[in-house]
Amino acid sequence: MHRFLVIFKMDMINLFKSPVLVGYNTVFAALLILIMGFLSSGNYADIKDAYEYYVVSFIIYGMLNGAMTASNCFMERDIKRPNLRIIYSPVGAFPIYFSKILSSFIFDYSLHLLLLLILCPMLHVSLGSNPVYFILLMAPIEFAAAALGIFFCCIFQCEETTSMLLSNVISILCFLGGTFFSLDSMGSTIAFASRLSPVKWLNDAFFAIVCDNSLAYFWPVLIGGTVVSALLVLGCRLFFRTEDYL
Amino acid sequence: MENLLTVKNLSKSFKENRVLKEIRFEVHRGEVLCILGPNGAGKSTTINILTAALGSDGGEICFKGEKIGHKLRAYKQSLGIVPQDIALYEELSAERNLIFFASLYGLHGAALKKAVNEALAFAGLDDRRKDKVKTFSGGMKRRLNIACAIAHHPELVIMDEPTVGIDPQSRNHILDSIKKLRDGGMTVIYTTHYMEEVETISSRIIIMDHGSIIAEGTKETLKESIDNEKRYTIEVEENGKISADDFYAVEGVKSVKTDGETIEITSLKGVENLDRIIALISDCGEKIRNITSEAASLEMVFLKLTGRKLRD
Repeated sequence: MHRFLVIFKMDMINLFKSPVLVGYNTVFAALLILIMGFLSSGNYADIKDAYEYYVVSFIIYGMLNGAMTASNCFMERDIKRPNLRIIYSPVGAFPIYFSKILSSFIFDYSLHLLLLLILCPMLHVSLGSNPVYFILLMAPIEFAAAALGIFFCCIFQCEETTSMLLSNVISILCFLGGTFFSLDSMGSTIAFASRLSPVKWLNDAFFAIVCDNSLAYFWPVLIGGTVVSALLVLGCRLFFRTEDYL
Repeated sequence: MENLLTVKNLSKSFKENRVLKEIRFEVHRGEVLCILGPNGAGKSTTINILTAALGSDGGEICFKGEKIGHKLRAYKQSLGIVPQDIALYEELSAERNLIFFASLYGLHGAALKKAVNEALAFAGLDDRRKDKVKTFSGGMKRRLNIACAIAHHPELVIMDEPTVGIDPQSRNHILDSIKKLRDGGMTVIYTTHYMEEVETISSRIIIMDHGSIIAEGTKETLKESIDNEKRYTIEVEENGKISADDFYAVEGVKSVKTDGETIEITSLKGVENLDRIIALISDCGEKIRNITSEAASLEMVFLKLTGRKLRD
């Protein structure tokens, strides 16, 4: 346990010392929300509604992009070399990848919470009558995204390939899921395609909490996210080989 | 002498490519064993298997008489590894790097502090301990790279070409450090393709080529194996009028290699044929610029064993 904590602490330091990752999850995300909310305000009854839409949808987008944070802290070139020493040390394989998943999860989760803490009062956005549900529901999604990033690294053994693939897949799923603008009013075929995207299901679950104070999707998404996370960690266990690091 | 590590019939293939062909060797406690070979000889693969980061296809490795698979954690605890690439967190200080890597081996508290101080002194970086690694020169990074491997006082240090791409001053510092480790009783496995380093630090040498061990022994015994030979290096003004076959006609000449205006001739010791070689060159109308004669060296051993130079 001591050695796991040592690795975990180092992973956290490395993440918080990366200006690119911190900036991407805070300043860049905030600017994106502000610009998109402002530009699309004409499509909503009130600018507050536009900001609400983009705060929620871009937080989901950011959570999914947490997969790239994880892949970066696992196999990014400059980090990978010193990480090699962890492989050489008398530490088992599990602490190596699990520490990356856990640290990426905490890093992304804390920065996204910080973002909500700043943007919600500033833009008068409500996260429902009880924001705890919104915040709780974020946790399994953040964790599953981090586990997905590490799992892809274990499969492809390369951060660049993983990031490129994840970036494209997440962008397509988010486009279909209505992250950038809602596709519901674009005809039945497009609306059907939109419903195929898991991002759409996540949007529905979070917007149900925000707009309707409804927990109809809360438990299915919470349990689904937890199961997917567990399966991805299991996948890492099966596919992680120390020689991929050499 | 006690065997610290025994490697038996180690083999490894990457797809169809056999990179290790059932190699066997032993590492004695307290020695510096140099593994010498050109790029692609199988040195790094051997090292990666010895560090337990890469699996082998066959064979076994015993550490202090026990197979490492049975006590892998204890084996890894006894190892200090200096990878070929600099493996340091650039954004952190030298001290933070050492604290982290030594902690992975279970050191904490006063023992950790002592180990870090010793390692910094060993690397000659005591006064730069708080500086970020990214501000260090290449040589300083290389020294810290080694310090990170020995901070926890391993029994066996494995170094994979630790002096690649550094200035002569830093190289000398590193070679002196390795001698200090050896004098302190540490066992070192050291891979390189620099002959001079092997001459300076080795207790014993293994020469590898194409995944096999082609020779093993001390530098003295290896040189003795070719001690009946000498080598002339002759520089001419323009080479082209004389063929290698002409030299083979001279008594005692064993091999001839031409490279531009340089002719390298290996000849039997005891046969005084230099005047005949010079006469041959002059008869062909060539002008000689320089002649040097070498006694047996590791370079010659390698040339004899493989038919090529180490850096060819």
